[in-house]
Amino acid sequence: MTKQAKAEKRSLRLAFGGRDVGVLVANILIAIVFSFLAGGYFSSYTLLLLLRQTSEVGIIAMAMTILIVCGEFDLSVGAIYAVVGIITGLLFQNFGVNLFLSATAAMVLALFLGYLNGLLITKTGMHSFIGTLATMMVFRGIAMVSTGGRPVSSLPKMPFFTIFGEGMIFDIIPVPILWLLAMCVFLFFILHKTSFGVKVFATGDNREAAELAGIDTITIKRYCFMLTAFSAGIVAFTSIGFLRTATPTQGQGLELEAIAAAVIGGTSMMGGVGSIFGSFLGALIMAQVRTGLVLMGTDAFVQDALVGLVIALAVIINVQLSKKNSV
Amino acid sequence: MAETILTIESVSKRFGATQALNNVSFNVEKSEVIGLAGENGSGKSTLIKILCGVHQADSGTVVFMGKAHAPESPSQAERAGISVFHQEIPICYNMSVAENVFLGNRMPVKRGMPDKKFMVLETKRLFRELLDEPIDATKLMRNCSVAERQMALLVRALRKSATLVILDEPTTALAPGEVQKLITIIRGLKNKSITFIFISHMMDELIEISDKVTVLRDGKVVGEFLRGGYNRDELASSIAGKTLDADKKKIRKLSDKIAIEVSNYRLDEQAEPINIAIKSGEIFGVAGLAGSGRSDIVRSLFGAPPAYDGQVKLYGEDISIKCPQDAIQQSIGYLPEDRKTMGLFYAQDVKFNLGIANLDQWIENGVVNLRKLKRLSEKFVGMFNIKMAGISSKITSLSGGNQQKILLSRWLAIQPKVLLMNEPTRGVDIGAKQEIKEIIRQMALEGVTFMIASAEIEELIALSDRILVMNTRAPNCILAGKEMTKEKIVEASA
Repeated sequence: MTKQAKAEKRSLRLAFGGRDVGVLVANILIAIVFSFLAGGYFSSYTLLLLLRQTSEVGIIAMAMTILIVCGEFDLSVGAIYAVVGIITGLLFQNFGVNLFLSATAAMVLALFLGYLNGLLITKTGMHSFIGTLATMMVFRGIAMVSTGGRPVSSLPKMPFFTIFGEGMIFDIIPVPILWLLAMCVFLFFILHKTSFGVKVFATGDNREAAELAGIDTITIKRYCFMLTAFSAGIVAFTSIGFLRTATPTQGQGLELEAIAAAVIGGTSMMGGVGSIFGSFLGALIMAQVRTGLVLMGTDAFVQDALVGLVIALAVIINVQLSKKNSV
Repeated sequence: MAETILTIESVSKRFGATQALNNVSFNVEKSEVIGLAGENGSGKSTLIKILCGVHQADSGTVVFMGKAHAPESPSQAERAGISVFHQEIPICYNMSVAENVFLGNRMPVKRGMPDKKFMVLETKRLFRELLDEPIDATKLMRNCSVAERQMALLVRALRKSATLVILDEPTTALAPGEVQKLITIIRGLKNKSITFIFISHMMDELIEISDKVTVLRDGKVVGEFLRGGYNRDELASSIAGKTLDADKKKIRKLSDKIAIEVSNYRLDEQAEPINIAIKSGEIFGVAGLAGSGRSDIVRSLFGAPPAYDGQVKLYGEDISIKCPQDAIQQSIGYLPEDRKTMGLFYAQDVKFNLGIANLDQWIENGVVNLRKLKRLSEKFVGMFNIKMAGISSKITSLSGGNQQKILLSRWLAIQPKVLLMNEPTRGVDIGAKQEIKEIIRQMALEGVTFMIASAEIEELIALSDRILVMNTRAPNCILAGKEMTKEKIVEASA
């Protein structure tokens, strides 16, 4: 092969998922290590368990990836998740609204909250951290006030809950895994295959250049916030479906786990760089470390610390990789 | 015979397959100003980086002030007395001029606190003695002009007893008046036994300031020109490595169709109205000093941001442009003045950067079609002779000139009726400049109408059919044909 063709091939690999390969390799290495350390780790049961565990953080991490690529992030996503669960449960249980209608209303509310986030950030130009920290507290307050802090529990068995959370396919695959995979395909398509995705990359990479190339970056950012809120709604449905309970405190810390998973997956907090598949694999790494440590019988307090170490390690490796790529 | 302060003796440096420097030797005398010229990739920056300790030479020796000079870090080079000024100025924007001058390990201290009063007085004294310039030393850096920032850095370096100052394209961000001032300052410091190495793409500056111009090409010294012993064309062809066609100028016959007509066009409330009609296929230049409205008029036609008021007609039809989307809708493109902050998408590859303004050509029903984008990119890459590994290389791996050609292709890809340009050849080497001018001429022949704002008067004269000279946000005059001379333009600008 000529030198030029080689360089061409190399740069193609870098542009389309060079980093994803790194996260995939890391996943495999971690799996091998735990197979030796924890008995029974290497099995189809563990794989399903992992995917089931990844589903919540994974869905949000993938949507958050799109938001991070466009140059923002959302700390209020865990609170939106709580609001959707609570509102769905309340409308159904206390007001007797049809469950599908309740869920639809809660999802519309989630989209509205996402829109509010986008409006706040794009209108005032304040940093995502401050803006969504504020709305996180407000939204969490909405969830708490609407039930007086109590959970909405003992919901009856309904088809809606089966579809989103309780159901098993072939009596073995929990439906949340299906939702995870469906959202993965959907979000992958949005970010990597549509004009919207191209504009998201441009917006996060260089906002002024994007504006001068005729991209309405304000609208793009608002849609990204709404997309993240939408994913929080989907996750709220899988949770309420599985537990048949919604608590106003649920999802605390979910936003940070999602951001961590995205970053492990190679998403740059500076914007303009990231991939859906990478974030999916990033969430899987976090789930692997947690599950592996549990199977090894590690103390719960040690687990969090070790997950923290994994995040730091993953980011160090990513920075090294991207340095190498840019030369 | 003057004392030799720096001797570079057969220095070579290789990066992978690229021989960046090949047996480079030259001397610098004390209090001399050496101009260093060469295209991008000629080895200028590598040489500078060896002198200031970023890279180490593979072979060869450097002797500075009688001692072997092989610094392993920039701070080591600075201690030896070599200071380098890069295009990006490393300063703390939220500190005052005085604090920036004294920034470092040892700030003057009084009772454990930084002694601000002393720093301010001392800074004023240094500015007066070294640069013969007054300064408000308490002013925050963020409120200073680029020229003031450069002066502050210069004072900082000289305070640390720098004897050799390397200026890497110091004038790109300066207004013409400020450039003259910098040249005066350099001359003044030269008399105080400071030696300079001055790097620039602007030949007039090089010729004016340098006692000797050393030209690098492909990592070798290919020419040394002593003051007074050469002319501009000799220098230009030495840099480019071939004889450049002098910009031949023909008065072209233009069609009678008016492409774009602006009337009662005002940049702001106080500005005088502008009325111009540009013909189809015309190259219309806009000259003027920085702040004269030169670039604002071009920008505003793209809606970024729009003008205060006025009518715009495109091929006879009234159009209203409020934002870039409106302009692109009307097939009007805009090449901004700063490639780095306003043009490029750094994390992306070449084809993304090329295709971003004309998504509808490679996105069908909202879905990306990479094959179409590749075909589009390859067409322009072939047409404009853009050098790179491939259309999927990172945009950052291209040289400045090739990056600029990609940006130009981005706008030509929308098949523009009118292409607005702001400093189309800023920061690109002479060869690429020539090629970009050629592309503009070619496209004008094919019916694209150009409106070009530029600070480089010669370039405007070489390109334009007519030139509008702006003066304090108002149109001063429109020059055409033989009237377009540097003297007339300068006179009308000031």
